Amino acid sequence: MANPMKIRAASKDGVTEVKVLMSHEMETGQRKDSSGNLVPAHFITELTATWNGKTVLEAQFGPAVSKNPYLAFKFKGGAKGDKVVVSWKDNKGDSRTDEAAIA
Amino acid sequence: MSRFSKSLLALALAGLAGSVSAFDNYKGLGRPATEAEIKAWDIDVRPDFKGLPKGAGSVDLGAEVFEARCASCHGSFGESNEVFTPLVGGTTQDDIKTGRVQSLRDGSAPQRTTLMKVATISTLFDYINRAMPWTEPKSLKPNEVYGILAYLLHLAEIVPADFELSDRNIAEVQKRMPNRNGMTTDHGMWPGKGLGNGGKPDVKNVACMRHCKKEVQLVSSLPDYAADAHGNLAEQNREVGQARGKVTGAKSEAKAAEPLSESARLSQLANTSGCMACHGVNGKIVGPGFNEVMAKYKGQAEAETQLAHKVKAGGAGVWGSVPMPPHPQLSDADAAALVKWILSGAPAK
Repeated sequence: MANPMKIRAASKDGVTEVKVLMSHEMETGQRKDSSGNLVPAHFITELTATWNGKTVLEAQFGPAVSKNPYLAFKFKGGAKGDKVVVSWKDNKGDSRTDEAAIA
Repeated sequence: MSRFSKSLLALALAGLAGSVSAFDNYKGLGRPATEAEIKAWDIDVRPDFKGLPKGAGSVDLGAEVFEARCASCHGSFGESNEVFTPLVGGTTQDDIKTGRVQSLRDGSAPQRTTLMKVATISTLFDYINRAMPWTEPKSLKPNEVYGILAYLLHLAEIVPADFELSDRNIAEVQKRMPNRNGMTTDHGMWPGKGLGNGGKPDVKNVACMRHCKKEVQLVSSLPDYAADAHGNLAEQNREVGQARGKVTGAKSEAKAAEPLSESARLSQLANTSGCMACHGVNGKIVGPGFNEVMAKYKGQAEAETQLAHKVKAGGAGVWGSVPMPPHPQLSDADAAALVKWILSGAPAK
């Protein structure tokens, strides 16, 4: 199980800004370790964000995304106390879901 | 502020109280700093938490203040790599246990973050309190600094989300700092091998604790012949400030005072009297070169007296239209000696 994401969501003038810091290795599969063996690819492939059960963002990630990715996005709507849920899946089948209340 | 400046302040205060006479020479200049002034200036927090203001701040308060005052540069999670390297990241639960950050050694983190490097929590408090935010330093209240610090520590998973950092429990948190055992002084100014001396300490001065020598014994000094290799060092330092050059070169100055050899004296005389401005030693400049003069008058018995007269009175026409100005300041003996020196071919030597 991967480390939890850090999520902050703030609503202002009817627009909610969500900031997410994921904790993930994001190995490209191109790197070699000190003994010359390829480090196997390990990266997030899918990310979904929902607000009160409604999907507000879907993204497909690839090996070009950095280690411990940071993601910020805005969506219309959202009120204080609403739940924002972010979840990702990686190419090894691992997944993680975290949530935060809109401030 | 460093420990050094604090002891300096203590010293200055002691000086104030102890020796009023030091100010007697400067009547009417300056005044002792007031208590309020010293209090406003003396804000440093030491690793033993001396100077730490009383207060407390929760992670939640810190998150709020951080978002408002800090996040625009550092990112909401202290993750931003835009202005400076990230504040948080690269530390693990293992590091919190061992007190040495593993990723500093194996290079597994992309860059060094603040919480990877810093060994003492007091440093973080002091720095945030003193210098942040960049645009408004010292504008944060102590409770806000506690809160921001708690939030950063929470981001690094050093303290839980409901933690409240205060002057009472900060010492406990110090025991969980990821790099608390990572501070060393046993390295050069440039730790790596590329620059400097390969990471060895530049100096190693260990204070003597027992069997110490009572007197300073000089075991080596610059040999006399080398002491004045760069002239008198005392003259090469400013007269103000602490650095004073040692008086060197006294011996060679004593030599300079001895009478010069005759040809050296004449060479100097020729320079100071202005001969060399127009006459080259080995060729024409404005007037004829000394070698040409020598060739022309060689073997003429009266030439010396004639020329000596000409040096003093001036002349024109022999070597072209440019006249030779008179040099009445030369004594007869000097003029004769110069001519003799020129005709003997000495200048070229």
